[in-house]
Amino acid sequence: MIDVHVQYFAVLRERAGLSQETVATAAATAADLYEELATRHPFNLPRSMLRVAVNDEFADWSRRLGAGDRIVFIPPVAGG
Amino acid sequence: MRAFTFSSAPLDPERHRTELADPGSGGYASFEGWVRDHNEGRRVERLEYEAFEALAIKEGERIVADAVARFGVSRAACVHRVGSLDVGDLAVWVGVSSAHRGEAFAACRYIIDEVKHRVPIWKKEHYTDGDSGWVNCERCAAAAHDHDHDRAHAHVPEADHARPAAGSGRAFQHDYSRQIALPEVGATGQAKLAAASALVVGAGGLGVPVLQYLAAAGVGRIGILDGDHVEASNLHRQPLYGAADVGRAKAEAAAERLTTLNRDVVLDAMATHATRENVDALVAGYDLVVECTDNFRAKFLVNDAVVRAGKPAVFASVHQYEGQLQVYRPEPGWPCLRCLWPSAPRDGLVGNCAEAGVLGPVPATLGAMQAMQALQLILGLRADSSPALVLVDLLTLETRRVAARRDPDCSHGLDAPAAAPAATPVELEFVTLTAAVEAGLELVDIREAWERGFDPPQSSIPLHLPLSDLVNGRVQFPAQGRYLVICAHGVRSLSLTEHLRSLGQSEVYSLRGGLAALRR
Repeated sequence: MIDVHVQYFAVLRERAGLSQETVATAAATAADLYEELATRHPFNLPRSMLRVAVNDEFADWSRRLGAGDRIVFIPPVAGG
Repeated sequence: MRAFTFSSAPLDPERHRTELADPGSGGYASFEGWVRDHNEGRRVERLEYEAFEALAIKEGERIVADAVARFGVSRAACVHRVGSLDVGDLAVWVGVSSAHRGEAFAACRYIIDEVKHRVPIWKKEHYTDGDSGWVNCERCAAAAHDHDHDRAHAHVPEADHARPAAGSGRAFQHDYSRQIALPEVGATGQAKLAAASALVVGAGGLGVPVLQYLAAAGVGRIGILDGDHVEASNLHRQPLYGAADVGRAKAEAAAERLTTLNRDVVLDAMATHATRENVDALVAGYDLVVECTDNFRAKFLVNDAVVRAGKPAVFASVHQYEGQLQVYRPEPGWPCLRCLWPSAPRDGLVGNCAEAGVLGPVPATLGAMQAMQALQLILGLRADSSPALVLVDLLTLETRRVAARRDPDCSHGLDAPAAAPAATPVELEFVTLTAAVEAGLELVDIREAWERGFDPPQSSIPLHLPLSDLVNGRVQFPAQGRYLVICAHGVRSLSLTEHLRSLGQSEVYSLRGGLAALRR
């Protein structure tokens, strides 16, 4: 298990009811982590519509996680 | 009749009007410019107009042709007097006939503004005190603009412009001193701004501050592209408009306000939406694009057009208390919108301001950031900056910059199908819902339940399938039958209709412009 810092934006923040949390996880990749969090929060967007950033850089979903990583899940936003 | 002519004889608007008659036109708008008895505080007795005709006619014809193409009106013409005129005489006449009044007014306004600004005509005023003087055309004070006729006549000295005159006709020169004072801007930067042009797509919550700051900074020409009308629910986040503007075309109302802010700036008011058919021509006319709409369809349309044209763009979006901003530069390594969002999202899934709610300062902040980025691009400041998506949370005041790279697998929209009319139209226009029912269509309201609560007269549409329920599979769209899909502004309904069409359902249509269009 590693600790990672997770931040949510826009609709994900709404659905999670919080904007950030520190999570102890066994997830190996960013994709695994999202699927794990989706069981705890009522996320309604498929992963294919989102982007993930690790340590302030866009990353692939297959990106392997390390202890202390800062992970941001970003949905697209259209309001203007 | 010729699109643009000069006349040394008095003008006859009645005759010109009949020449614009057209069976497809439902209306006609005209503008008459008259000789008034004062200018800059001096009493005027009569005046003389002179033009460099060969050049002026060419430029005038270009303006009228532009207006016809841009606003889609039936016919348009402009006649300008030359020679000696008395107070009260008709100096210039503009007429436009068109299927709808909005376009007629807009085209008429466009023609007179552009003629005043671009056509080399000048006048000699004869004052009641016996004195006389040549007065250049209206925009002389915008020294940074090119005037083709600079060599042809003597301008009124600058001191004359600055002279405070009695009365209301005082010429006001826009003061850029506070931005020229920046070492990185200076007079050279100000000239760059004056020579630059920007297309602002969307004159809403984001577009309003973008337009205000670009106009105030003296960006030479600004295109305002928005097919919507001002609604009462816009005012809390679009304070460029006033309550009296409700119902007016946003592009026109915005252009009118911005003209009073800075008369140096040429404003192209285009009361239409970006479409696959017009977007390339629109983008081609400007140096850069600021994308301020509230829907993915338009954002990707603009993205693909700027990539094709090799122009820079500034994108932004907001959701409730947050915003995202991305600058696109047509340079190696810079990602486009599709690089970041390879599976282009459908509208309605993540909410726009109408659906999700928003506080005014949120789009205002993001819009101001867009304006800053646009000025930065024009001025060439921090040309070494690297691509990123910027996330802004206005509640926590946190800003996060996520470094972004160009996606080697991204098409950048270059494979987007060329403009081709669909076999059957996806959108239909109706004047009333009853007319749609009479046309054999079953109405489907896909707005959320709370939206219907705000709009009681329309709540009577019996079939209500909220888009959020459709997306989450809680309800199914009926497979059999002919349906007209309805939402507030026609964006979500179009997105859903296209999706259903792609699944093979052919008898489904979207109400163009949504319920907002019916109210007009």
